[in-house]
Amino acid sequence: MSTILSIHSLSKRYGKIQAVDDLSFEVLKGQVFGLLGPNGSGKTTTLSIILDLIHQDKGSFTWFDSLPGKESRKRIGSVIESPNFFPYLSAYKNLQIVADIKDKTYDDIDRVLKLTGLYDRRNSKFKTYSFGMKQRLAIASALLSDPDVLILDEPTNGLDPQGIAQVRDLVINIANHGITIILASHLLDEVQKICTHVAVLHKGKKLFSGEVKKVLAISDSFELSSANPEILQKAISIHPMFQSSSQNGLLLQVYFKGMVEPGELNSFLFQQGIVLTHLSERKRSLEQHFLELLEDKS
Amino acid sequence: MIKLLRIEIKKILTYKIFWILFGLYFFFLACGILMAEFMINNIVDDMNRHLPIPFPHVAIYYFPDVWQNLTFFASIRFVLIFPAMIIMILITNEYTFKTIRQNIINGMSKAEFLASKLQIIFIMALFTTLVLAIGALIIGISHSGFDNMAILSKGIPFIVGFFISILTFLIYAFFLAFMLRNTGLSIAVFTLYSLIIEPILFTFLKSPYIFKNKIFEYLPVNAAISITEYPAIPVLKKVMGLELQPNVTLTSCLIPILNSAILIGIVYWVTTKKDL
Repeated sequence: MSTILSIHSLSKRYGKIQAVDDLSFEVLKGQVFGLLGPNGSGKTTTLSIILDLIHQDKGSFTWFDSLPGKESRKRIGSVIESPNFFPYLSAYKNLQIVADIKDKTYDDIDRVLKLTGLYDRRNSKFKTYSFGMKQRLAIASALLSDPDVLILDEPTNGLDPQGIAQVRDLVINIANHGITIILASHLLDEVQKICTHVAVLHKGKKLFSGEVKKVLAISDSFELSSANPEILQKAISIHPMFQSSSQNGLLLQVYFKGMVEPGELNSFLFQQGIVLTHLSERKRSLEQHFLELLEDKS
Repeated sequence: MIKLLRIEIKKILTYKIFWILFGLYFFFLACGILMAEFMINNIVDDMNRHLPIPFPHVAIYYFPDVWQNLTFFASIRFVLIFPAMIIMILITNEYTFKTIRQNIINGMSKAEFLASKLQIIFIMALFTTLVLAIGALIIGISHSGFDNMAILSKGIPFIVGFFISILTFLIYAFFLAFMLRNTGLSIAVFTLYSLIIEPILFTFLKSPYIFKNKIFEYLPVNAAISITEYPAIPVLKKVMGLELQPNVTLTSCLIPILNSAILIGIVYWVTTKKDL
């Protein structure tokens, strides 16, 4: 798989604040890459650096395996912070300017306006738009003429629930078309729902990165019950991954050292003659994981 | 370059404030030029009341003086401040709307962005110069008729001089707008400097009892607007002891050009180094 973005020990300091601290990660083609972190963790600073808006103090990055420059930026569609357009120009005219800069024709403008539901208002001035519409125009502008990668910085910030749902559906839809996406968010469920890979940032440092699926799949406990709790407890304690257990009313809470599949666990107990009356997996959510990581570091 | 111009024209074409200010500029410019003779003669009448031998009325619209007179009136700092404001608004708007960030993100280089603004300045200066040249020609012909081509060649140095005046004056505005990145602030500082601070500085430096050199000639705004230094009005020579300017000199053109080149260099250096 080809590398879209590669960042090597990037650092940026604003006075006393280390906004980005020795950050490295790679985004490969086809990934939906989440940059997750609380506000002020360096997400926007990182995105601003890789889009040549601000200069890094240390480190380097490459786009599409080559040195960054205006030509690589033309292949990127991005929505950074608030939507920035000329207030006195119509949506259509604003997108014409974007197409001009990217050396693209105007043929694709109608498509992205329809896709974001702004086609009927294409000739209205940008300043007459509601916030949700402005945000959607920013997405339309980013999608113009099929970018190789899409950068979204808090795309649902400040939107109402309906707007959030629309934007998320749109992003998932785009991702399904195979466009690489880099999404910065402080919302865990957003990253959980949309992303395939994630890097967790805190105070400019990368705490953790990997596949979202793997992060979510870490099951740290199961709740079990059967007709005879004592036999169950004995049987489970000989499981090779067994760590500890505790009786919790009728339910037996069992902790394992690593990943255990519920089906495998069920058949393991069944082989020992135990029929479970209850089996539930207690997934450690990204949120819990995230909070744990933050606690470890501070 | 054509692409940058196309983008820039799109930004301006439906921008009402630009057209209102641009229209006002030409309205006041035309009023000033057409009323200049009347106003000067009012002053002459005032003076004549206290003089035993009255001065004759001035006539400023005759060939070849009309070239020098019109370029002089059009390059007065109070007049040039108008297009300078327009340029500062166009540039600082990009910071206010954050569209400069968006342009860079979308794949424009910072050098291209600066070039696109310099193009607009160049076109605005050229357009104003052309209007002034055509205006001077029409006014001149209507007052003294058109007899030979020599009256045109006499005008060319003044017209070129005016072009350099307005171009360099607008580049100063460009410089300040990119340095301060704020509409109100850059207009206020520019107005304050060019209308008040520099004239005071100029008078101070020019005073022969203080400085025995010609450093005042290098003050940026003064250098830009003094290419046509005085109007061609003989009575001024008698009243104020001014020498009549025979022609536009190369030095007077080179000083503001050099100033602007340095300022463009600074803008380029700062803009590429500084974060957006």
